[in-house]
Amino acid sequence: MKYDAIVIGGGHNGLTAAAYLARAGRKVLVLERRHVLGGAAVTEEVFPGFHFSVCSYVVSLLRPEIIRDLELPRHGLEILPLDGTFTPMPNGDHLWRVNDHARTQREIRRHSTLDAEAYDEYGKAMVEMARFVKPILDMTPPDPMSLDPRGLMKLAFLGKRFRALADLDRYNQVQLMTMSAVDFLDQWFETDVLKATMSASGIIGTFLGVRSPGTAYVLLHHYMGEIDGAFRSWGFARGGTGAISNAIAAAAREAGVEIRTEAAVARIAVANGEASGVVLTNGDELQASMVLSSVDPNLTFLKFMDTKDLPDDFVGDVRRYKFRGSSGKVNLALDGLPNFTCMPGDGPQLRGAISISPSVDYMERAYDQAKYGEFSRRPYMDMVIPTLTDPSIAPPGKHIMSCFVQYAPYKLASGTWDEQREAFGDTVIDTIAEYAPNIRDLILHRQVLTPLDIERDFGLTEGNIFQGELSLEQLFFARPLPGWAQYKTPIRNLWMCGSATHPGGGIMGAPARNCVMKILGNK
Amino acid sequence: MSSDTVIIGAGVNGLVTAAFLARAGRKVLVLERGDHIGGCARTTGLVPGFRCPTLAHVASIDPAIVRALDLARHGLRIIRPDADICAPTAGDRALVLWRDQARAAQEIRGFSASDADKYPRFLVSFSRIAAVLRNVCKSIPPSIDEPNAADLFTLLKAGRAFRGLGRADAYRMLRWMPMSVADLADEWFQSEPLRSVIAAGGILGSFLGPRSSGSAALLLLLGAGEGQPLANGWFAAGGPGALADALAAAAQRAGAEIRTLSDIVSINVTGETATGVTLTTGEVISARTVISNADPKRTLLGLVGATHLGPEFVRRMQNLRSHGTLAKVNYAVDALPRFTSLRSREASEQAAALSGRIRLASGVDAIERAFDAAKYGGFAEEPWIELTIPSIIDPALAPPGRHVVSAYVQYAPYHLRGSNWDSERDRLGDAATRTIARYAPDFESSIVGREVITPLDLERSYGLTGGHIFHGEIALDQFFVTRPLLGWARYATPIKNLFLCGSGTHPGTGMDGRSGALAARQVLKAPATWKP
Repeated sequence: MKYDAIVIGGGHNGLTAAAYLARAGRKVLVLERRHVLGGAAVTEEVFPGFHFSVCSYVVSLLRPEIIRDLELPRHGLEILPLDGTFTPMPNGDHLWRVNDHARTQREIRRHSTLDAEAYDEYGKAMVEMARFVKPILDMTPPDPMSLDPRGLMKLAFLGKRFRALADLDRYNQVQLMTMSAVDFLDQWFETDVLKATMSASGIIGTFLGVRSPGTAYVLLHHYMGEIDGAFRSWGFARGGTGAISNAIAAAAREAGVEIRTEAAVARIAVANGEASGVVLTNGDELQASMVLSSVDPNLTFLKFMDTKDLPDDFVGDVRRYKFRGSSGKVNLALDGLPNFTCMPGDGPQLRGAISISPSVDYMERAYDQAKYGEFSRRPYMDMVIPTLTDPSIAPPGKHIMSCFVQYAPYKLASGTWDEQREAFGDTVIDTIAEYAPNIRDLILHRQVLTPLDIERDFGLTEGNIFQGELSLEQLFFARPLPGWAQYKTPIRNLWMCGSATHPGGGIMGAPARNCVMKILGNK
Repeated sequence: MSSDTVIIGAGVNGLVTAAFLARAGRKVLVLERGDHIGGCARTTGLVPGFRCPTLAHVASIDPAIVRALDLARHGLRIIRPDADICAPTAGDRALVLWRDQARAAQEIRGFSASDADKYPRFLVSFSRIAAVLRNVCKSIPPSIDEPNAADLFTLLKAGRAFRGLGRADAYRMLRWMPMSVADLADEWFQSEPLRSVIAAGGILGSFLGPRSSGSAALLLLLGAGEGQPLANGWFAAGGPGALADALAAAAQRAGAEIRTLSDIVSINVTGETATGVTLTTGEVISARTVISNADPKRTLLGLVGATHLGPEFVRRMQNLRSHGTLAKVNYAVDALPRFTSLRSREASEQAAALSGRIRLASGVDAIERAFDAAKYGGFAEEPWIELTIPSIIDPALAPPGRHVVSAYVQYAPYHLRGSNWDSERDRLGDAATRTIARYAPDFESSIVGREVITPLDLERSYGLTGGHIFHGEIALDQFFVTRPLLGWARYATPIKNLFLCGSGTHPGTGMDGRSGALAARQVLKAPATWKP
């Protein structure tokens, strides 16, 4: 039998694409290599009773239109608020920002009166910037080299929007698009720890430092959630991140999508420049009038295809596409709660994100080590304890602490990740212990994911959590490749719908939705 | 006294502006605070008998300006050395990129056959992209608010030139601009010496490391002048000072008056209009138009003063990034430095190999590590260094058999943590000497004179705010319509009749004189183009 569309990969993007296609009347099959759905947006019971959000652990940018269109709440999606960012400092002080604006201002005033005032201005400015950028997320990037009037209109549209901005907003916008997070924040704030912890969002998942130009832009993402209005800027999914994928899968199934797990694709069937289906590793051949790949370009074009079927310069571009995973993940099963010296007790400071980013130099030094092929001896970390918000995911009285760790370069100067995995895990524990010494006694189990593990287990080349670096030369009309930013490929009826396409990674779903809109001719 | 037009500073751009305005019939008075003209383009005595490029050691003046001002007739003699660039190694082989590309490819083949094959293709793509950028560098940035016909034409031309590249190079340009120069070099080449010389082109004078995004853009922009990525800029007989002299001669010939030792304390403003300048002597010179070759911060925050400017404008001007990282060390030596990695070559070939730029770096990572030190307010024991030995092609600069060695030393951050340049000056000079001696062991013993110019000296003695040789970082956020500031990229300032013509304005690529030429064009259109 023949499908209208086969979607490779049962991650949140693959499932979203499938759901939208099915709702448009297409007969769709989703193929997932693993036994669970969700890709990197997955919940797994790694240790008995402990349900880890193994990779992705918080949600902010999931497009509200997707939540509405697919009626995700009806399919079991519930977002629980994640309130605040707590930054412990080695000198016994701390910085604790919460959603309650007044409280945050009082807290910042402890560090600097000027910054407390600037924080207000900054928040307002960033919301304006986010308003400007938001439509770009939901747009198929134009091809600057084509004379397609729709593309040119988009460019004109962007130009007009930019000119319509107030002078100050223009100034900020240009800076956000080009500057480093620290250079940008330096203009607003004087408190080192504040700049350090804010700049962290600019480098997550990239192989860049907080002083690298191009990192300021991502600061915006923290304000996108707010203007979406669907939920607070950051949150947990009840039941773990996998619950998001499961809700999308439920919506897809309801729309008639067929989903197969443990169905690994061996290759994409291509005949005279046209995709006709896929062949599974078990030899099954599946026909379809179109194939959507939600996996990264490396797998799609270099693993699943014969490069002879592709133009040489295209293959060259795919080979040049930068992955460069730079982060790892350590998931801890805890017997109790960590006790931070600078703010003892299990107060609300533990309910939000806990950020190990005590100073700008600390952040930059962590990057410097990675540049030369070592993992940071004192890494940047973003930690959450979801069990405080959602006790259902661990046994009574037990806790889960999820630690995102950067920098962990995929390519090590010496040794292999298999040799260094435990040393990396120890570094993480040692770093936490400097702020919460009791952590060692609490650990029941620990799961260490190096970039190599992320590549092996989740099919993310070089362990890049965004399916390719979010650096300026790989954004918008250059994502994933210059000239191929419109979800199309050189192969007819083969489409890309994963995080490697515009607007990129994170649990957004926008790439998949944009791709389907393009396929259905709505964009 | 009074003058139609007063130009503050007799640097390359100031003199170019002066020459063009004088030729257009303006009565021009150029005021230079120092006893020398030329700004960063000067050749001065180091020790008796030795004359050395004090600051910049190449004279990368725009050929179009050389023609337009007929500088040859005013004494400018451009010399192209046989070697564009030489990359000595600590081993016994050096990479010499001869001006003759076939010969250069041969040298590269000694390190990597695939690099040798790619090198010509790289230069072709680069020069095609550079040609597009050159158009941009020759155009007045368009107004965003009310673009006029000329602006639209400029954009149209740029757009057409861009499309003219064809898909492959057009997309290359889009990718290269925001990239890091280290990534760019890695994409093309394998051999470390070649990668290092390319990477070095993307960090010169900037607070960027080879791995910093946007460093490839700097490589393209600095190379745009000639479309030669590795060694933009050529030499003037008599050193860069000779370029300044030729420009001055051209300006004076056209009727401009140049006064040295005339230091300005303030630009006089009535209401929001510039009316002239006041000198340290108390002398007031009124003028219909005041043009500043000084950097934007010094001009507006210093000479005009914040009181005449809006607080928001002042804030942005204060945030203009101009954190210098380049220091200069000049040497008088009693023998041509003998580089270990060149020993196997004939004496004459050794001299020829050293006649261009000599870039010392043990690898891209070494340059990056030198940058790391600067990020934390220190300078590396092994700085990145670019040498020239101008006395090889211009023996008049030194006594027979002797030489002057001019060294760019990076990274030397303007802001030192826990110390200051007055106490670190000699340590920096020693670090430079030691680093050179790694490649040329006899160098240290051949020194008969040395001069160290730190970023602090660049600010104090030459008026470069932050000691930044480009009057402000050339970066994606400070280029074209955003240089020096978004909305003020057209040489005008919030002060009526006050214009900028220095490197702090578009294109700002140092001493090519383009900023000065474009400023002159804009001034001649004023007040039509002046916007409050």
